[in-house]
Amino acid sequence: MAENVVVPTDIFLAPNEYGHSTLEHVDQLDFLNDSDGGLPFFHRVESSEVVYQPRRKKAKMVGKYLVGDLLGEGSYGKVKEVIDTVTLCRRAVKILKKRKLRKIPNGEQNVLREIQLLKRLHHKHVVFLDDVIFNDEKQKMYIFMEYCVCELQEMLESATDKKFPIFQAHYYFKQLVEGLIFLHSRGIVHKDIKPGNLLLARDETLKITDFGVAEEIALHAFDDTCHTSQGSPAFQPPEIANGEDSFPGFKVDVWSSGVTLYNMTTGKYPYDGDNIYKLFNNISKGVYTIPDSIDSVLTNLLHGMLAFTPDKRMTIEQVQLHDWVRKRHPRSLDYVKFPPPKEGLDKHHSMSVMQYLDDLHCPEEDEECDEYEDEFHIQQNNGKKPQNDVDDTPIPDPKHKKRKTKGGLLSSCKQS
Amino acid sequence: MPLFGKSQKSPQDVVKSLKEALLAVSKGSTGEKKADKATEDISKNLAHIKGILYGVGDQEPQTELVAQLSQEMYNHNMLLLLIMNLAKVDFEGRKDVVQIFNNMLRRQIGSRAPTVEHICCKQDILSELMKGYENQEVALNCGQMLRECCRSEELAKILLSSSQFYKFFDYVEVSTFDIASDAFSTFKELLTKHKMLSSEFLEANYDRIFDNYQSLLNSENYVTRRQALKLLGELLLDRHNFTTMTKYISNPDNLKLMMNMLREKSRNIQFEAFHVFKVFVANPNKPKPILDILLRNKEKLVDFLTKFHTERSDDEQFNDEKAYLIKQIKELKSVDES
Repeated sequence: MAENVVVPTDIFLAPNEYGHSTLEHVDQLDFLNDSDGGLPFFHRVESSEVVYQPRRKKAKMVGKYLVGDLLGEGSYGKVKEVIDTVTLCRRAVKILKKRKLRKIPNGEQNVLREIQLLKRLHHKHVVFLDDVIFNDEKQKMYIFMEYCVCELQEMLESATDKKFPIFQAHYYFKQLVEGLIFLHSRGIVHKDIKPGNLLLARDETLKITDFGVAEEIALHAFDDTCHTSQGSPAFQPPEIANGEDSFPGFKVDVWSSGVTLYNMTTGKYPYDGDNIYKLFNNISKGVYTIPDSIDSVLTNLLHGMLAFTPDKRMTIEQVQLHDWVRKRHPRSLDYVKFPPPKEGLDKHHSMSVMQYLDDLHCPEEDEECDEYEDEFHIQQNNGKKPQNDVDDTPIPDPKHKKRKTKGGLLSSCKQS
Repeated sequence: MPLFGKSQKSPQDVVKSLKEALLAVSKGSTGEKKADKATEDISKNLAHIKGILYGVGDQEPQTELVAQLSQEMYNHNMLLLLIMNLAKVDFEGRKDVVQIFNNMLRRQIGSRAPTVEHICCKQDILSELMKGYENQEVALNCGQMLRECCRSEELAKILLSSSQFYKFFDYVEVSTFDIASDAFSTFKELLTKHKMLSSEFLEANYDRIFDNYQSLLNSENYVTRRQALKLLGELLLDRHNFTTMTKYISNPDNLKLMMNMLREKSRNIQFEAFHVFKVFVANPNKPKPILDILLRNKEKLVDFLTKFHTERSDDEQFNDEKAYLIKQIKELKSVDES
């Protein structure tokens, strides 16, 4: 077998280690250069330095959707990117495990309510629910929604001082108001408006999400009286902090949007507290300040939205007609961009389903490569043996390293 | 400034020469040759104005020039002049007028919108735009401009409160399909865009509006009937229009109309009618005349609804609502019984 080895043994050693050039062998290696340039400059890699790439995951389908990479994780389960293989629409899927859901108070009930509400709500600024699939065997529920890049909350956290420049805050706030007017016209009180529940699509269209604690006002109910609220404490109005039995629902959303606006423009909250009791105590006192950096028009709007009694508080329709909302704000350079996603995902938020599509549609091409690589592997092993005293030294598996660099059939279609 | 091509005229010059050309065409008495020259001038100047507002090629529009141009347009009351003579402008020119008008309307200085303020003072512009629906040639152009006006609450208010608004009930039924649909979308925009404004308008003018609306629901034209019914459902189910809804569902004639529409030949109309009909039934405080009609038809309704659109098995919401209505009707009792 030794005569048949095309690759000279020393080619795998760094030239400086043995001091002699390997260049005379290079000509014979031309066929290898096709896939991997610069073979002669291969460096010896210590086994401890080898980082094993996990083997590429196999394509997985749920219904007509091809599942991509993980986008985020919540208390209820994972969120992954998917592609609808029929319409080719990019979507996100919330995977809920019944087991986890049961641990959250009202978990199952809230999810079902959210699904029921979202199915009927079609608006530019409300997250779109595409489909729901139940898997009884796995005790899982898949909720397919519009693909969004990130939450406003994540963006705020990545920004300096945790706030947006005025024009950017205005751009998002205007869309929030439009979305809320739509929800209220359908008799829906969201009850949990906050930056963490506002998503941004790829084109920066704001989408209101998380209708888990939302309430639908009965069609014939005379007014919008509500009795319960389970929203986030820092965004709750005095009437809820005070534990009133009933309160006008729509004004709750106005208050929370006011806190959201306050937060987006100052990086702070109007009311703070070390724990929920202190926080609610502060909210119920109704004393807060607006930083001097905020101009008088915006201060006026914030005071209107954070008015202590619901009767005095602006309606969302009045908010829309407020000068600050109607105003065109000059663009500034301190624009906050989408934060880079979590480790392992690319910063352009490209579609992560590409590699899976590749796996799904071009498995043969892969097998050919595998054969070739296995052969290569053996040769390498044989070649190395004489230099290696220990037989069982793990050899870096080029398969995994190469996988990463090898462009799949579809990799050129990747959007950036 | 483009290196080649037309020499750059100042906004003042462009507006002035456009005005002269428009006046020449509007008189119409001059010779053919002169008229051709004027038409050509109009197109040229319109293209020029569009260039200032939108920028030429890669060039961004210059704020200073845009401001000068707008001021000049207001001073010469050019928007009104353009709309009044729109029929005499050639096809491409009309499209330019729409683009110029819409661009100027969107222009903002801080929270002020100067063109909106201008139109508020010169309300003729709006009534001329409305009249545009009566002229086939310019109807669609005027429609585009009207809808841009609807975006502004102030202008929508003027449009709603003018007596001309009721002309929409005729415009949406004209025989030319594209004009009728265009008029309908403007009509819908006016009634749904600004929630507070339209709900006050519907309340204050309830009788006049719904008298007219009745004719749309009874229209010979299938499209009008279907669109009108769909919009009615949207209006009644919008919480902003709660008072109007309550008033509408206490009138037994409206209930009779909807029950008849449930039995229309078109399944789409049946389906839309269902969404209005459900509001009558779901009302927990039904007035006696409404209750009487439902009681009289109790068996028939239960039977009818049970067989109603059974093929929509995957529409969960519809089936839930249908089941709810059947239950409600089955449980109906006359006031004397209870």
